[in-house]
Amino acid sequence: MGRYLATRLSHVVITLFAMMTLTFFLFRLLPGDPTAMVISPALDPAAQEAMRVRFGLDRPLVEQYFVYLANLARFDFGYSFRTSGPVWDLIQGRLVNTLLLILPSMTAAYAIGAFLGAYIGWHRGSRTEAGVILVATILQSAPLFWLSMLAILFFSIKLDLFPTGHIVSPGSFPEQTWRMYLTWDFLHHLALPFMVNTLYQLCFPLLLMRSTMLSTVGEDFIELARMKGLTERQVLFRHAMPTSLLPLATTLPMILGWAVAGSVVIETIFSWPGLGLLMVEAVTQADYPLVQGAFLLIAVLTVTGTFVADMLYGMLDPRIVYR
Amino acid sequence: MHQRSNINAEPVLHIKGLDLSYATAHGRAAALTNISLSLAPGESLGLVGESGCGKSTLLKAIMGVMPSNAAIEGGQVIFKGADLVAGSKEAWRKARWAGISMIAQSALNALNPVRRISAQIAEAILTHKSMPKSELRARICHLFEIVGVDPERIDDYPHQFSGGMRQRVLIAMALALEPSVVLADEPTTALDVIVQDQIFNRLRALRDELDFAILLVTHDLAVVIENCDRIVVMYGGMIVETGPTREVVRAPSHPYTLGLRNALPRLGVDYEPIAIPGRPPDLVDPAPGCRFAARCPFALPVCRVVTPDLLPSTPDRAARCHRAGEMETLASLAGKVETWNRVGDLANAP
Ligand SMILES: Nc1ncnc2c1ncn2[C@@H]1O[C@H](COP(=O)(O)OP(=O)(O)OP(=O)(O)O)[C@@H](O)[C@H]1O
Ligand code: SF4
Ligand SMILES: [Mg+2]
Repeated sequence: MGRYLATRLSHVVITLFAMMTLTFFLFRLLPGDPTAMVISPALDPAAQEAMRVRFGLDRPLVEQYFVYLANLARFDFGYSFRTSGPVWDLIQGRLVNTLLLILPSMTAAYAIGAFLGAYIGWHRGSRTEAGVILVATILQSAPLFWLSMLAILFFSIKLDLFPTGHIVSPGSFPEQTWRMYLTWDFLHHLALPFMVNTLYQLCFPLLLMRSTMLSTVGEDFIELARMKGLTERQVLFRHAMPTSLLPLATTLPMILGWAVAGSVVIETIFSWPGLGLLMVEAVTQADYPLVQGAFLLIAVLTVTGTFVADMLYGMLDPRIVYR
Repeated sequence: MHQRSNINAEPVLHIKGLDLSYATAHGRAAALTNISLSLAPGESLGLVGESGCGKSTLLKAIMGVMPSNAAIEGGQVIFKGADLVAGSKEAWRKARWAGISMIAQSALNALNPVRRISAQIAEAILTHKSMPKSELRARICHLFEIVGVDPERIDDYPHQFSGGMRQRVLIAMALALEPSVVLADEPTTALDVIVQDQIFNRLRALRDELDFAILLVTHDLAVVIENCDRIVVMYGGMIVETGPTREVVRAPSHPYTLGLRNALPRLGVDYEPIAIPGRPPDLVDPAPGCRFAARCPFALPVCRVVTPDLLPSTPDRAARCHRAGEMETLASLAGKVETWNRVGDLANAP
C-alpha cells in the first residue's frame, strides 16, 4: 500500500508538471498579441514598453518559463491584464463561490441519484420506475444551458420565485465578504442554479445505479441474505446497495470533469461569480494570465480529485489489492 | 454413516402436495407438481434428478425465498407442526436459518464479495437473536473450527479463500444457529473430487454430532448412496420414486431410477455409462399421461393417456409408474444400451 501510494503520488506530480508546462506554451503560442488587449496601441511606445517590462513579456520565452514555474511554486499566478491585480486574489474569491454552488449540488446529485436509482432498480417493473426513467432520460439528453434558461423563464420570470441571477442582490454587498454567505438573500440566489444543476447531474448516477441494481437483485448472495432471514430493508441496505455502488464509484473521476463543465455553463447563465464565469470573462477579454491561472487551478483540482477517488474506491472494494 | 432408526418419529419438516409455477413468456411453467415428502429429526434425505427437474426450486420454496415470478399454487410446508405457507410472511422469515438453513449451490457467488465473512455470519445470528460481541466472535471462531477452517481467518473476505474453503464457510454459516433442518443444494458441484469427499465426510460427522436433518440435493446417485438414509427421485417437477436408499438403488421401481442407476460405476463389470436420451419435459404445456413417457423404453399406450399416481408398494417405498410391479423383469433390459437407444431413435424420428 505504501509503495503503491508513493507511485501514484509521483504520477500526480508528473501529471501536474506536464500540465503546467503545456499550459505555459499553449498560451504563448496562441495567435494574436495578447498584450494588445491591455496595452493600448494608442499609448505612446515608451509607456507600452514599460508595461511589457512590468509583465515580463519582453524576456525570452525560456526565461519566462522558469520564472513562471518559480512563481507557481509561490502561488504567484501573475497579474491580470485588466485589473493589474494578482490573479490568485481574483481566483480565490471566485473559487469559494463555485465550491459553494457546485460541491453541495454534486453531492446532492450523487446522493439522490444513487438512492433513487437503487430504489427503482430494487422495485423493478413498477410504474414509478418507468416514470423516473423517462424523466431522467429526457433531462439527461437536454442541454444544460437550455434547462437553465427554461428554469429562469419559468421560475424567475413567470412565477417570480427566484432571482434571475447573481449571488446576492446587486448592490447589497459592494465587496465580497464572508458575511454575504450567511444571508437569506444568498440562499435565495443559490436555490435555482443549485436545483437545475442537481437535477441535471443526478440523471447519470440514477440510471447507472438502476442498471447495476437490476443485475445485483439476481445475485446469489442477495438470495442467501434473504434466506438468512434478513428483512427486505436489510437486504437492500446492507447487501444490494453497497455492492451496487461500486460501478458508480469507478466513475467518480469523470464526475469532476462534468462538474467543471457544468459550472461554466451554469455560472454563465446565472451570472454566478464563480471560477467558470471568471474563465469565460477572461477568455473573451483575452486576459491570458487569468485564464491560465483558472486553467491551472482546475487542472490541479481534477488531478488530485481523481487521485482521491481512486484511493476511495480501493477502500470500498476489498478485492482491489494495491501493489 | 449409520442408518437412523427414528424415521417413524414426528417429522420435523413435512411437505404436503406442494404445487409451484413460474410465470414465463410462454405461460405458467409447472415447476413443482404435488410434491410431498417428510424429513424425520436427524434424518438424511437425498434428492436426485436431472438438471432442471426442480430440485433448487423445491429448496427455495421450503425457505420461502423464491424468484419474483414464482407462485406457490397449493400445498403446505409444515415445519415443527406449523404450516409456513398458510402463516404470515414474518413467521416464515423467522423460521429461516434459525430453524431451516441452507448450504447454497454456488459457494463463489453466495457470499457478498465486499463484506467480511465474520460480518456475514454475524448478521445471520443477530437477525434471530441478540448476542454480546465477544460471544459472537467466539461462536464464529468455533464454527470455523468445526468445519475445519483456521479461525484466524474469520475477518477475511470471500475472495481470499479457495473454493473448498468457501464451501466450508457456507456450511459454518448454515450451522450458525443450530437449525434442525439443513438444506444442501449440490454443495460440492464446483469442487474437485478430493475436496468433495472431505466436505461430505465433514458434513456427515457434523450431522452425527449436531443431529440436524439434512435434505441433500445432487444429481449424483453415488453421493446419495454414500450419504443418505432415504432417497427421493424427481423428474419433471414430480416425485417419481422414493424409499430407503439401499433398497431403491438395489431394486428401483421406476424406469427413470433405472436410467439414473446406469450412470453409476459398477465394480467388476465392463462398465459403460448409459445416458438417458431425450430432453426434459415441457413444463408449460405438459403432454398428458406420464411425464417420462417420451423417454421411457417401457412406455405402454396407457402411459401417454393416464398420469400414474405415486403409489406405495411397501410402507416406506413408493413409485409413480404404471409398470412398477414389473420392474424386476424390466431391470435387466434397462442395463442394455440398445434398450435406451431405441427410445432415442423413436424420439428423434419425425
Ligand atoms: N425464475 C425462474 N423463472 C422461470 N423458470 C424457472 C425459474 N427458475 C427455474 N426455472 C425453471 O424451473 C425448472 C426447475 O429449475 P431448478 O433450478 O429448480 O432445477 P434444478 O433441478 O435445481 O436444476 P440444476 O440441477 O441444474 O440445478 C427448470 O425448467 C427451470 O428452467
Ligand atoms: S408410467 Fe409408463 S411411461 Fe411412465 S415411467 Fe412407467 S412405464 Fe414409463
Ligand atoms: Mg439447482
